Amino acid sequence: MSPRENGPHENRPREDGLPQDPQDVKLMIHALVDGELDAAAALAVERRMAADPELAAEHARLVALRGAVASVPRPTVSDAFLARIAAIAAVKDPEDVEAAQGEHVKAEAQPSARQQQQGNVVAMRPRAARWFDSFDWRQMAASIVLTAFLASGATQWLATADNGAESFAVAVANSHRRSLLAATPVDIVSSDRHTVKPWLDGRIGVSPAAPDMAKDGYALLGGRVEVIGDRPMPALVYRHHEHLITLVAAPRQNEAKSVPVADDLSAGGFLLVHWTDDAFSYWAISDAERPALDDFVARFRAAIIANPAAGSPG
Amino acid sequence: MAGAPDGGTVLSEKMLAARFAEVVLPHLGDALSLACWLTGNTADAEDVVQEACLKAHAGIAGFAGGNPRAWLLTIVRNASYTWMAKNRPRSVVAVGDLADLDDVSPPPDNDADSPEAALIAKANSAAVEAAIARLPQAFRETLVLRDINGLSYREIAAMLGVPQGTVMSRLARARGVLMTELGGRHHEPA
Repeated sequence: MSPRENGPHENRPREDGLPQDPQDVKLMIHALVDGELDAAAALAVERRMAADPELAAEHARLVALRGAVASVPRPTVSDAFLARIAAIAAVKDPEDVEAAQGEHVKAEAQPSARQQQQGNVVAMRPRAARWFDSFDWRQMAASIVLTAFLASGATQWLATADNGAESFAVAVANSHRRSLLAATPVDIVSSDRHTVKPWLDGRIGVSPAAPDMAKDGYALLGGRVEVIGDRPMPALVYRHHEHLITLVAAPRQNEAKSVPVADDLSAGGFLLVHWTDDAFSYWAISDAERPALDDFVARFRAAIIANPAAGSPG
Repeated sequence: MAGAPDGGTVLSEKMLAARFAEVVLPHLGDALSLACWLTGNTADAEDVVQEACLKAHAGIAGFAGGNPRAWLLTIVRNASYTWMAKNRPRSVVAVGDLADLDDVSPPPDNDADSPEAALIAKANSAAVEAAIARLPQAFRETLVLRDINGLSYREIAAMLGVPQGTVMSRLARARGVLMTELGGRHHEPA
């Protein structure tokens, strides 16, 4: 990761840790402009620049060049091209193809044809035109419908699909994705429910049962606090082989719909299972396969029933 | 549990479509930019990106997190070179044979004064575009990935399969050429 290692040059580091070779110092200025230096290295480079007008001038030129390059116009993604690309995924989706067979789609297909004539670069090209000819109108229509959805944002499409539960599922999916990208998926690392539960209790006053099911192949990694719809709620993180499973336990509210039987959902490319018990509304989410997630849910529910003491809320 | 046996496959296809929509579609602009700079024109770039997106869709299940833009651009880069090898065999640079380019020593910059920075900043975008287009392939590619697509040194090094130090020296060389051209070209008052 360190940008300082630069090829064969063997430079004795000076006191500020920067290379001595003038060319290598220039590389450090590039790295500074590119935001690749940590704070200590950035400070050292800035000190060198303050002492050396030539380095400062190089820095000024680089900043100017960055601005000049940023001003170069970029190719725009035309609607027709986006439709072509969106269709790659759409034609594989039977529900969208079915949807495209609806009558209202025919009506939509015509404005889009007009759109293509309005100076649309892609449609004007002979090659692209051939491509459109070979395209079944249903797929074309499906892609237009999909594009309309995409224009309003894929997540919104999922969120507005149905009801509150759907948007909650999307929020859970987004949190799960964020946790996968974060340095660590948990705020409290422990495989011991006697550590995880009090931690969650201390933070937000509620904690679900946190059985460690390592012997079943689902190791408890720890817990974190999720904020979904401005309510903080506990989340447990389990590992199953290479997959992480996040289990969000939303404290039941009076109006919440009871879902005693697990409900299979998906959101944002992840699979979810949703169910409720007396105290919590549970959402299990993972990129694991459906059978593994179902197995996890079954074992988790069995573990709670077997050991209700571990599952008392609060 | 509640899922029907065939419900699983439908869900997983929907899942893949959703992932495609999240991973690929937001980065089409960057994909087009890169393909455009590598192939040299917008029309071919769309064909290349379409080809790349087909590959991306086929391989979307293998996307294991990380930077989706870097993932897509890697596929776009490969598709660009495949496309050029097929359609413009004479213009393709052997990608694996760049040692000579990396050894080129940087140009001397004796006239390192700040007016040059002002000239660079004022350069019109057509001149900048032309200067980038004139860069040797390996330098252009690195510069575009960094300054136009916004990838990090590490991501570029991984994509090109070269050490990070090589990315840095190519970048410095590319920028050095651009700064010399844009800073020196406008000496005569326009």
